Amino acid sequence: MAQRADGRNLIVRYPMIDRVVHWTIAGTFVYVMLTGLALFSPPFFWLADVFGGGPVIRYWHPIIALVFLAALAVLLVRWFKDMKVDADDRRWIGHFREFVTGDEKVVADAGRFNFGQKALFWVQSASAVLLLLSGVTLWFPRSFDVGLRQAGFIVHDLSAIVAIGALIVHIYMGVFVTPGSVKAMTQGTVSARWAEAHHARWLKALRSATPQARH
Amino acid sequence: MSPVTSASALQVKAVSASPHTATGIKDVPELTKMIDVSVCIGCKACEVACQEWNDLKVDEIRESPPQTYQTLPDLEYNFWQLIKFNETERDGRLLWTLTKYQCMHCEDPGCLKACPAPGAIVQYSNGIVDFVQENCIGCQFCVTGCPFDVPRISPTTGKVYKCTLCSDRVSAGLEPACVKSCPTNAISFGTREKMLAQAQGRVAQLTADGLDHAAVYNPSGVGGTHVIYVLPHGDETSLYGLPTNPKVTFVNLWKGPLKWLGNLVFAGGIVGVVLHYLRYGPREVDESRHDDVKH
Repeated sequence: MAQRADGRNLIVRYPMIDRVVHWTIAGTFVYVMLTGLALFSPPFFWLADVFGGGPVIRYWHPIIALVFLAALAVLLVRWFKDMKVDADDRRWIGHFREFVTGDEKVVADAGRFNFGQKALFWVQSASAVLLLLSGVTLWFPRSFDVGLRQAGFIVHDLSAIVAIGALIVHIYMGVFVTPGSVKAMTQGTVSARWAEAHHARWLKALRSATPQARH
Repeated sequence: MSPVTSASALQVKAVSASPHTATGIKDVPELTKMIDVSVCIGCKACEVACQEWNDLKVDEIRESPPQTYQTLPDLEYNFWQLIKFNETERDGRLLWTLTKYQCMHCEDPGCLKACPAPGAIVQYSNGIVDFVQENCIGCQFCVTGCPFDVPRISPTTGKVYKCTLCSDRVSAGLEPACVKSCPTNAISFGTREKMLAQAQGRVAQLTADGLDHAAVYNPSGVGGTHVIYVLPHGDETSLYGLPTNPKVTFVNLWKGPLKWLGNLVFAGGIVGVVLHYLRYGPREVDESRHDDVKH
C-alpha cells in the first residue's frame, strides 16, 4: 500500500490520488457551503454576489454538489477499509477526554485513522447522503409532493449545519492542532516520528508489511 | 363595481430576505378581493381579462386542456387565475363547485418568508403580495413556502410568476381586471372592512336560503387573506380545492429555530476551536531526536 518515500525518514500517508480527490472535495464543499449559506440566511446573501449573483449560484449549487458527491464516493471506496470502526476504537473513546485536552500519548496507538477521524468521516458521509436526497426535492420542486419538499428543507438545513460544524473541527484539527497534517495532504508524506506520535499502529503495520523499508 | 378610487401609490410593507421592515408611515387602507362562488357561472371572462390585461400570451401555454370544462389542469407561469370546475357526486347528483383559483395574497405570506433573494417578493401596505422578477433567482423556495400551491416558474426566463392582484391597476386607482370583467358581480373589490362585511351579509342570505354551512373563507392560519371567498358549503373547503387550514408552520420553523441553530453551530464552533487552541495549543512532534523510531 503506502510506500516509503526516498531519503529522510518519510512515509507516504496520502498518495497522489487521495490528495487530488481530497482537494476536489474540499473545493467543491467550500463552494456549496458558501453558496448554500447565501440561500440559507439573508445576512449571507452577499456571498451570492461574490459567486456571480443569485441566479448563477442557484444554477451551479446543485451541479457542483454532484461533483462533491462523486469525489466523496471515490474516497469512500478508497478509505472504506481504513475507516471501519474496530474493537481498538473503544480504547480511543474511553480516552476521549485526554485526547481533547492534548494528552494524545495514551491513544497514539491508532491505525491509519483514529476514531475521531473515522467519526468525522462517517458523519460527513451520512450528511452528504442526506444532503443529496433532500437536495433533489429542492432542485426539482414540481416533481415532489409538498410534504416531502418541506421535509427536504428541514433535512437539508440540518445536515448542512452538521456538516459545517464537522468541517470546522476538521480544519481546526488538521491545520492548527496537528502540525504535519497539511503537508501530508499536500505533499503526501509524514515523518516516521509523526506517524509514531499519532498513528503508531498504522506505522507498525506498514513496517511489518515492508520490513526492508526500515533504515 | 365602481373602481377603487382611494388607492394611493403602493407603499411597501414587507420585503423578502431583508432584515428591516419597510418604514412607510402612510395610513393605507387594506384592500380585499371577495369572490362569491355562489353566483359564479363559470363564464371565464375573468380568465380572459387576466390574460389580456397582463399580456400573458395564452397561446404559448404548454398544457393541453383536461377533459372537463376547465381551461387548464392547473395554474401556469403565464396563466395566473383559473376557474376550477370541481365535480363531486352528492346524493346521486352532480355537485359542481366552481372556484376562481389564484394567489390569495396572504397577510402572513409563506412565499415571502421562504424567499432567500432580497427584494424578490414584496408585500404592500394594502395587502398585495407581489413578485419582483428582476430580483428573483429562480430557486422556487416560494413554491414550497406557499400553502396554496400558486407560484410557477417560467422555463424560459427562470423566474417565478403569479397573480399580482393587478397591482399596476390598483396603484392607479382601478380595480383588478378580473373584477372588472365579471358579468354576475361574483367578484368584488374594495377596502377590507367593506368586503368582509359584504361577505358576511352574503353568507347570511345563503344561510337564510337553507345553506346552513355557508361561510366566509378567510383562513386565520396565514393571518387572513386579501382574497376571500363566500362558500355555500363552507364546512367542506375541499369541495373547492381549498386547504381547510393552511399554515406556514414549516416556513416559520425553517426560518426561525433552524436559522438560530445554524448560527449557534457556526459561531459556537469557531469560538470553541479558538478557545481550545489558546488553552491547549498545537501538538508538536519532536523531530529533533536522531535515533530512529523504535519498532
